[in-house]
Parts: sequence; structure tokens; C-alpha cells
Amino acid sequence: MFRLAAQRAIAHRLAGSSRAGLRVSSLHTRCWTATWRSSSPPLPSFSRIGRRGYAEATKFSRTKPHMNIGTIGHVDHGKTTLTAAITKVLADRGAAKFTDYSQIDKAPEEKARGITINSAHVEYESENRHYAHVDCPGHADYVKNMITGAAQMDGGIIVVAATDGQMPQTREHLLLARQVGIKKLVVFINKVDMISDPEMLELVEMEMRDLLSTYNFDGESTPIVAGSALAALEGRDDEVGKDKILELVKACDEWLDVPARDLDKPYLMPVEDVFSIPGRGTVATGRAERGVINKGDEVEVIGLGTSYKTTVTGIEMFHKELDRGEAGDNMGCLLRGIKREQLKRGQIIAAPGSIKAVRKFVAQLYILTPDEGGRYTPFMAHYRPQLFLRTADITTSLNFPDGTPDADEKMVMPGDNVEMVCALHTDVAAEAGSRFTLREGNKTIGTGIVTKILEYA
Amino acid sequence: MALLSVFYRRLVSVSPACFYGRASYSTTQKSPIHLVQELRKLTDVPISKAREALAASNNDVEAALKWIEKDLAVSGAKKAAKVEGRTTREGLVSVCVLSNGTRQDPTGVSSELGGVRAAMIELNCETDFVGRNELFARLAADIAHTAAFITEHDASSPSFIRPCALDVLGDAPLLSQSEPHVQTPSTVSSSIRDLIAKVGEKISLKRAVTVVHGPLRRESHVLGLRVASYLHGATSSGFQGRIGSVAVLGLKTPRLPELMSRKTFVQDLEKLERAIGRQIAGFDTRSIRSTPDDETSLYNQPFMMLGAEGADETVRHALNKWSRQRGMVEDDAEGGIEVLEFAKWTVGQDVE
Repeated sequence: MFRLAAQRAIAHRLAGSSRAGLRVSSLHTRCWTATWRSSSPPLPSFSRIGRRGYAEATKFSRTKPHMNIGTIGHVDHGKTTLTAAITKVLADRGAAKFTDYSQIDKAPEEKARGITINSAHVEYESENRHYAHVDCPGHADYVKNMITGAAQMDGGIIVVAATDGQMPQTREHLLLARQVGIKKLVVFINKVDMISDPEMLELVEMEMRDLLSTYNFDGESTPIVAGSALAALEGRDDEVGKDKILELVKACDEWLDVPARDLDKPYLMPVEDVFSIPGRGTVATGRAERGVINKGDEVEVIGLGTSYKTTVTGIEMFHKELDRGEAGDNMGCLLRGIKREQLKRGQIIAAPGSIKAVRKFVAQLYILTPDEGGRYTPFMAHYRPQLFLRTADITTSLNFPDGTPDADEKMVMPGDNVEMVCALHTDVAAEAGSRFTLREGNKTIGTGIVTKILEYA
Repeated sequence: MALLSVFYRRLVSVSPACFYGRASYSTTQKSPIHLVQELRKLTDVPISKAREALAASNNDVEAALKWIEKDLAVSGAKKAAKVEGRTTREGLVSVCVLSNGTRQDPTGVSSELGGVRAAMIELNCETDFVGRNELFARLAADIAHTAAFITEHDASSPSFIRPCALDVLGDAPLLSQSEPHVQTPSTVSSSIRDLIAKVGEKISLKRAVTVVHGPLRRESHVLGLRVASYLHGATSSGFQGRIGSVAVLGLKTPRLPELMSRKTFVQDLEKLERAIGRQIAGFDTRSIRSTPDDETSLYNQPFMMLGAEGADETVRHALNKWSRQRGMVEDDAEGGIEVLEFAKWTVGQDVE
């Protein structure tokens, strides 16, 4: 088995350079197929064997940093073609599975569930990153998915056709990117094979840079790649097709920032339960959300009206002692000199200074529809649901941000994306980007994401 | 061999472009980039159109603007034909209320109440990016304004809220809401085509209703009509949203002229009207009256949108109480305020 895998990897590397490469090295490849065939029924065509090999050999590897990327643009400017073209070009290098239009555009079961299409279906790898690709069909859809955490974009590719240039709605595209917290974008000017005058390309580029700067993106240094996704997909005119797709991927690699991995962030563990072990002390259990903790590290306990520092004197998992725990571990932390009464579910244990307790913040909310299990009726300002953040359960009041006109008469309906101010009954550790749910009785009525802290505890 | 075929393919695919390029250079001189840019800032037309316009008008921006205006009709129609088959489920509901039934004479000399004149329209597009764009919002508001403006009172119709024929509305000249005195040569349907040419998406006017009724002359001292409306998810301008409701209310009180001349009463009434608009839009409202336990009928619903005043009462009771408290009716007399008709639309909802 190991030998087989190794052979595949060799073939993979050989074929990896390009299609032409594959043809040239047909001698090696033939040897490979011969050995491969011995262990399985014969397959009809040569090319199919080759592709099968890639698909099976491509195991998800964690060695490359992962990034969620999305395409935004006008319906006719070729977002889907570009996505298909990227997978095709990279599939030729063995770094993706070719995903055709039809597969990208049609995901009825996900559409029915209200999830932005195929966040999971399209993935590819560049030299040094792994990308998951999301298409972004609408503003409200995307914002909802961003709030609930169903789809996330860490960076985006704005697609603009050279024939049209930016359109009136391109402003709305950039506004969306701003709203969902994308800091950097890459621009792909598509359909360059349809224009005759290279000067027009300069104009498209110039206008895009202007517009990017208007919306507080770095218009000056944002990479702009001009090419033809269709040419790349059809395998013709490499200088505007394949080469430009590779250039685009490279631009994404170099310009877009990979979000910090959970392991690299400061330690945080929500307290789920508290035990007092005679002769040892008080243990808090929970699942570490991020970061790494070592025995002897100083930590801070935050939330529900208290905040104090202490030291982790022991880490335990599955009744075994450890020296180190990390994000994702279900563990118990033995805390020095802490009484059981001082620890409560809903507090967090974190690296000192990494996060603070808050009382009031602005959040983007998505209110669930009755079909999604939410409320049937609208609500108005001063509504008081329960807010669940990590393990904490706190009453909050919801109000419109200061300066909202007619705030007393505004209502929020199920299905709305809305920005509101949450004023908490007791403080809890939170920061911009923390997600929470809102519940009333036994019903989840909405989800939210903290966008701005107004008041610390 | 392979190399040769690649070369051959390149030749074939590249040459038409070269040919086209050369042809266009020989007939026209190049249009300077800054002019193209200027033209785009003024009109939002695609780059290729802006260039064509400048080429046709010898790089004169004024003339190019005129050329574009003419061309938009043609290119808009072409683009409209191209996108014809697509579905439009996004967009806006827009409401325009020209007269909500207040007194026509603000000096208070005449005691007559004015008539009602309002319209609600739904304009659709393909993505909500376009739906959120200002050009689209303005067009929706203008179409609602036009519909409210051009519709005439139809005495033969039994209902207040009447559908507005889309072909008639389409041929009507577009009357801008923000600049009512500016005469534009374009009709509603040509303005829609112009916008299609600019944003490249299918845009369609799905439905329109109007409420037009003159003052109730003979009985205007006891009977009055009012229009209440609400738009949910309103964009910045406030004239359009994702869900819209329009309701016609009837007032019946012997003290009508006196009450309507009081500022506080009118303010209260307007607040109540907004609450009714919200109640219809916010709850699953399908009728006004129905069997007692039917929650989809307005009068059975708890009037939550009235705030503290109506939280525990049904709309019916809250309206009765409101009328009595404000002296519209004596204890047992008939009258007060009543919801006569309403229409509620959600963007993208299926209609029979």
C-alpha cells in the first residue's frame, strides 16, 4: 500500500508540471499505469486514469495554511467561469479538483437550506496555501451566513469585465466587503480578449483603484490582474488565460493575509463546570477555544462580575496529567488558591490581558425566521432575550444604535439582518468577532456577531 | 507537432481581434482616456459604450452625452431582450403617498378634508446588490410617484385599493419624485430599459396598486379617509423597503372637523396609522376581520406595534379604546376609526 502511494506521488509530481509535461514523460507514466492497473480493473482511457490518480492522492493536508476566499461581482462578469477556471488550471498542476460551471452553479439542497452556495464544494491549493472558495450571490444572503458563521470570507476577488468596467453596483460589492470585515481584495479584470484597445484596460484599472480607495481599501497597492477566465477554461491563449489565472492565485497568496490560526492566538477556555478536589484545589473544565497553555502559566479569570489573576498548577485530560493543553482539547485546569465559589460557568480562563469583560457592545444580528425555528412576530427596541456567549447565559436588552431616526417606532422582523446595541445585565468576556446566540424561552431567535465594544466592565 | 497546433490555434483565435482592432483604429481616432472617464462619471454607461459615443461625436462630451441618451434606448432594449429569460426575485417595494387625507387648507378656514392619493409598486432585479443601489432605489420611488400621480378616481370600482395596469403605467412619462418639475422625455418603461443598460441585470415592474379617492364631499363633516403605510427594511431614503403595506382607514365622528384641526389629535392619529402599517407588515396578516380565533386577521391580533398602549389588547379593542379616549365617539355611539382595506407585499413573493 505504501509503495502504491509513493508511486502515485511520483507520478503526481511528474504530471504536476503541466499537461505538456505529462505528454513528454509518457514513458514514466506508462510504467506507472501498468503497475497501478495490476491492482485494479482496467480503465478505459489514459487521461481518466491520470485524473483519478490526482483525486485520490489529494488528501486534505494541514501543512498549508487555510484561507476562505470569495468572488464578488456582477452576474455577467464571469465569477463562475473564473472559479471553474481556477480549479481547472490548478487541477492541471494537481492542486485542485476541476469543478465545472454546472457543479458550481447548482447546489439545490444547499440553496434550499439557505446556505450560500457551495462554500465547501470548491477548494484548491496554491504553492503555499489551501483555499476554500465561496461565491457570493447576494448581500443579505452573505451577511446572514457571515453572522451565523456558515460561510466566511477572509479575502475576496472582485471580478470586473473589461468590456463594461465597474458598474453602479460595484459600489455595493465593495460595501459588502467592508461590512463583513474583509480588509484586502484582489481585482480580476475579466474578458480582456473581448476588447481591442489596451488603453481601456488601463481605464478599468484606474477606475477600480479610485473606487477601492473611496471605500477605504488600499487602492494603490491592491493587485489587479487582467485576463480571460474563459480562455483559461477552454485551454486556449495561455498568455491571457492560464498564465493570468496563475498570476491571480499568486497575487492572492502574496497580498491577502491568512487569518491567525487558533493555535497561534492567546489562550482562552470557557468554564463549563467547576469541581473541587479535596487535597488539590479547584478545577475548571472546558474545551480550549484557542491558544496553548502550559503548566505553571499565569492566567486571568474574567466575566460575571469578577476578574482576577491566578496560576494554572495542573492540566488534566482523560484523568491523565499533562504539561500542555491546546485549542480543541477538553481539559481541566487546576487553579492555584482559588475557592470553588470564585469560579462559575460562563466565565473564561484566558492569557492575561488578551481579552476583557464587556457590558455593552454593537452587534450585527440575524433574526431567525419561523421556518428556521425563530419567532413568528416582530419585536421593537427594549426587547430582552437571553444572550448565550460561549458558556455564559446573560439577559441583554436590545436597542437601536444612538441616533437611529424613529428608534421608538422601528421594528425588527424575523429574517432581518440588523445592527443593534446589546446592553448586558452582567458583564462577560467578549471582543469584536465573538459570536453569540439569542434565545427566548426554549427557542433560538437569532444569532449575532460583536462588531464594536462600547463599554468595558 | 503539438507546438505547431498550439501556434495554429493562437493564430486563429487572435487574428479576428487584431482585425477588429485595426478596423476601429482606421475609422476613428482613439478617444482620450480622461474623456471616457468623464463620460462614465456622468452617465454610468459601460466603458465600451462610452468609447463608442466619443468616437461617434468626435470626442465632444456634450455630443457624446446626447448620443448616449439616444443609444440607451436601443442598447437598453437589446440588453433587456438578452436578459429577458432570467428570474428576478430581489428588489424593492416602494410607496408614494401624495395625499394621506389631511386637510387641504392649512390655514383652517375650510373644514373640508382632502382626498387620498397613494401608490405602491414592486420593482424587481436579479441581485440585492442592484436592489441596494441608489439608481435603482430612485427609479422605484419615481415609478411609485408616477403611479400615484397619473391614476384617476374610478367611481365604478367598489374597492379603494385598485391594481394599476402595468402597460398604462409603462407608457406614462416618468415623474421624478425628487424633482417633480423636471420634464424628462422618458417613460416608465424606457427608464427601466435605461437602467438595464447601466446595471446589466434584468429589471421588471412586477405590480402596482393605487389608492385614489376624492374627499367625501357630502359627508365630509362626519366621514374621513386616511392612508397609512409602512415600509420595512427601508434603505437610506426611506421610500422603499423589502416589505410594504398600505392601508385605507375610515374615520367616522360627528366632531371630525374640530378634531382634525387639532394638532395633537392629528399627531396621535399619524402615530396610530404608522402602528397599523407596522402591524400589517410585521405580523402574518391576511384579512381584516375573520372568525375570532384566526390570528391572521388584523383585528384579532394583539396590537403589539402600538407600544405599551396596546400590548395586551387586540387591534379591534385598541382601536375602539383609542377612538373613545380621543373623543371621536360617545360611549355607545357607532363610529370611530376603522381599517377598511389593506395591501401587503413582500419582495420576491409569488403572486397568483
